[in-house]
Amino acid sequence: MDPLLLGLLVALATIFVLFSGVSVALGLLIVSAGFLLVFDGFRSLELMPEILFGKLDNFALLSIPMFIIMGASIASTRAGADLYEALERWLTRVPGGLVVSNLGACALFAAMSGSSPATCAAIGKMGIPEMRKRGYPDGVAAGSIAAGGTLGILIPPSVTMIVYGIATESSIGRLFLAGVVPGLLLVGLFMAWSLYSTWRSGNAAVLGAGSYSWTQKFEILPRVLPFLAIIAGVLYAMYGGIATPSETAAVGALLCLLIAVIIYKLWNPADLWVVLRDSTRESVMILFIIAAAGVFSYMLSSLFITQAIAEWIGTLDVNRWILMGTINIFLLIAGFFLPPVAVILMAAPILLPIITTAGFDPIWFAVVLTINMEIGLISPPVGLNLYVINGIAPDISLKTILTGSLPYVACMVLAIILLCLFPDLATWLPDAVMGASR
Amino acid sequence: AELRLSHQWSTGDVRHKVAQIVADEVAAADVDLEIKIFPSQSLLKAREQYKPLTRGLLDMTVLPLSYAGGQQPAYNLTLMPGLVKNHDHAARMNESPFMEAIEEIMAGDDVMVLVHGYLAGGFAAKDKCITKPEDMPGLQTRAAGKAFEQMLAGAGASIASMASSEVYNAMQSGVLDAVNTSSSSFVSYRIYEQVSCYTPAGEYALWFMYQPLLMSKSKFESLTEDQQKALLAGAEKAEAFYLDEAKKEDAVSAEVFSENGVEIAQMTAEDFEAWRTLARETSYKAFVEETPNGQQLLDLALSVE
Amino acid sequence: MAGYSTAVAARAGSNPFLRIVAALSTFAGWCSAAMIVAAVLITCQMIFVRLVLNASTVWQTEAVIYLAIAATLIGLSYVQRLRGHVNVDLFPLWLKPRARFVMALITLSASILIIAMMLYYGFEFWHFAWSRGWTSDTVWGVRLWIPYLSIPVGFGLLLLQLIADLVAVVTGADKPFGLEDA
Ligand code: NA
Ligand code: NA
Repeated sequence: MDPLLLGLLVALATIFVLFSGVSVALGLLIVSAGFLLVFDGFRSLELMPEILFGKLDNFALLSIPMFIIMGASIASTRAGADLYEALERWLTRVPGGLVVSNLGACALFAAMSGSSPATCAAIGKMGIPEMRKRGYPDGVAAGSIAAGGTLGILIPPSVTMIVYGIATESSIGRLFLAGVVPGLLLVGLFMAWSLYSTWRSGNAAVLGAGSYSWTQKFEILPRVLPFLAIIAGVLYAMYGGIATPSETAAVGALLCLLIAVIIYKLWNPADLWVVLRDSTRESVMILFIIAAAGVFSYMLSSLFITQAIAEWIGTLDVNRWILMGTINIFLLIAGFFLPPVAVILMAAPILLPIITTAGFDPIWFAVVLTINMEIGLISPPVGLNLYVINGIAPDISLKTILTGSLPYVACMVLAIILLCLFPDLATWLPDAVMGASR
Repeated sequence: AELRLSHQWSTGDVRHKVAQIVADEVAAADVDLEIKIFPSQSLLKAREQYKPLTRGLLDMTVLPLSYAGGQQPAYNLTLMPGLVKNHDHAARMNESPFMEAIEEIMAGDDVMVLVHGYLAGGFAAKDKCITKPEDMPGLQTRAAGKAFEQMLAGAGASIASMASSEVYNAMQSGVLDAVNTSSSSFVSYRIYEQVSCYTPAGEYALWFMYQPLLMSKSKFESLTEDQQKALLAGAEKAEAFYLDEAKKEDAVSAEVFSENGVEIAQMTAEDFEAWRTLARETSYKAFVEETPNGQQLLDLALSVE
Repeated sequence: MAGYSTAVAARAGSNPFLRIVAALSTFAGWCSAAMIVAAVLITCQMIFVRLVLNASTVWQTEAVIYLAIAATLIGLSYVQRLRGHVNVDLFPLWLKPRARFVMALITLSASILIIAMMLYYGFEFWHFAWSRGWTSDTVWGVRLWIPYLSIPVGFGLLLLQLIADLVAVVTGADKPFGLEDA
């Protein structure tokens, strides 16, 4: 059978199987086994456990559970509340100050956690009830947190950047740095929109509700110190010659656990277990998808589908920006349905040769890809952040959350356009810190 | 019929070209045989190729044989410090009773060699030149291969294990002081941007790694006589090309490093002997201890003129 | 919409088989978490040895990788029990309760089949490594049957949990896909 046609068949089967409610990882295994069995013979199934094990046999992957532990342990303490409180006290006079401080807290938290749902949960637990109490519309409260939470995978550390780095053999340190400026850009856009919409609504209740004295403003600052210490420590370990990015994750995880136990007195074993349970659940979920996606890409490669698609696109003589636009639409649609790691692992091997041939920088592309995945995190049917918001505020309807996040999706699309116009936004910092791109 | 060949290198690498020559020759022979090459680990990861090969789940691979040292300890002799002196010596190695013994072990795993070939490598370091064992104490080093780790640890270096793709960043951030790998890896990972001195494989070289093109034996035997002939003819042509290119790569790597302002150091006959003495006490000894028939195999390898 | 909810584990009811499997999966979850913590500690130890003692770090990277793999595979059943494996339940949401029930039977049976296959070949692979005495090609030279053991054990536990989930749906102890009736 023609590999391209076979590819279409795989795509349809995958969509059908995944929509049936089977878990994503198992669905990928089922589709892989089915196609290997029919088109490659019975014996090729023998290799599946070996390949699955092999995909996990990678030191860099270890950083995923570690960066998740970092976020989860801090999220379990009062630390998030302190951070949130501090930003609130300083920004209270700004119209829409509460949304702005929530977004700021999301950004700072994202710098400590590799995962978006964790970021969303940590800030949302305090942020959403507080905003609703102060009279912000439900849509703004839920939407801003859902969107702010997505920064978890753009601002380093980032689970998806690690996965992209492994799939494409790019430097993970460089990828992390590439996410910083676009992350700040997105925070800026999110904040600008929040300020504008609050100002336009003219809702007096939203404006500076109470005011804080300077004493109150300063006394909270020391409580934010552990955060800054962790972020500084991780950055120093990673770029100061102590450890590779993957090793840094372990240092960060240990530091965060220690801070949670010692400074925030999280020494009740039951509370500690909650931290470990949540980290284990998210890590195992992600790592199993990675392993299953590995088997899936073995199937694609073995049936020559990957190669045929890359060849076919190579023969298409289209403008590179039309190509980039098409790729973005494809990624967006894939992101609607699949969790980010699955999209990256299945798409990267096919897309990377196309991207580099068309003269795009793979590090820059990682950022564009990540922002696409961020949009997927706040869109149905698989929007991990939506589930988190739903868990925090079950009485806000999905429709309200979605309408609330829509303007922030527009901000992300704008960010992608800006990145296309000014690629330096992504590549400048890694080049400045680590030397010109290789 | 169709054969699937998997390897870990990019399409610009000499080892891909070796595979490509065989594939092209077989296609040109018009014997109803096609070799599909899967480069850059696009089918199987580097270290996961040998096991499927032995079970007939993969047809062909270009593989550093020592990667399978965990399954057949004898293969560790194909990446042993000081066993091979230069490329002509390596070529004689391929024709020797030693290689016959290794091929016999492969046959036991249902594997056969189509194209023999050795590639050489050297040392590079951030702050000094490495030519002799006395240069090693205290250096955080990443060595390519178990036997080299044992020898360098014996010289007083500290061994850090990591993937070769991590070496550049580890050198840049100061996690690593020195690295030992193949000439082509030195160039393709742009290590010259991070080091001050390079000791390439020259008249004397320590690091030679056997990286043959392997095939499933029963798969080969299942082919028609014409197909087998075409494969063997292609392999012969590829082997000559491989030896030629292997010699060129060392010189090219030295040139690239020197162009980038890296000092080039050379190993003397004395240095080579010092390393070899050290290797005898460390890696050779460990090899003999853990390998059935180890001493006999080692003697066979050492007896190649 | 299920998937990443803060919501609860699959319900076991009073069925002794379901309760035993639930207990096994929970225990596996503890082991998995413990292995992740061990990996964190070993990695930190490695950095200390290299940075402060400037000594060799030969075994740590390998040990930590195998711990992470084992944590993933052993943790599968526990995460299945917590409904932590993200899914897209588009079709089940569209379907009427009766059809949804049938859909759940089909997806669970397919999952059981694929994991049974992984268990079978995984066991075979483990047995190869064990009977042939394979080791890793490093100085540490781990006997590979030890890390490979996590394949049959992990998939075996997941298989049990999936069968338990199927039993729970069939006996009515749990709702298909954990969805409340629309
Ligand atoms: Na982050
Ligand atoms: Na989505």
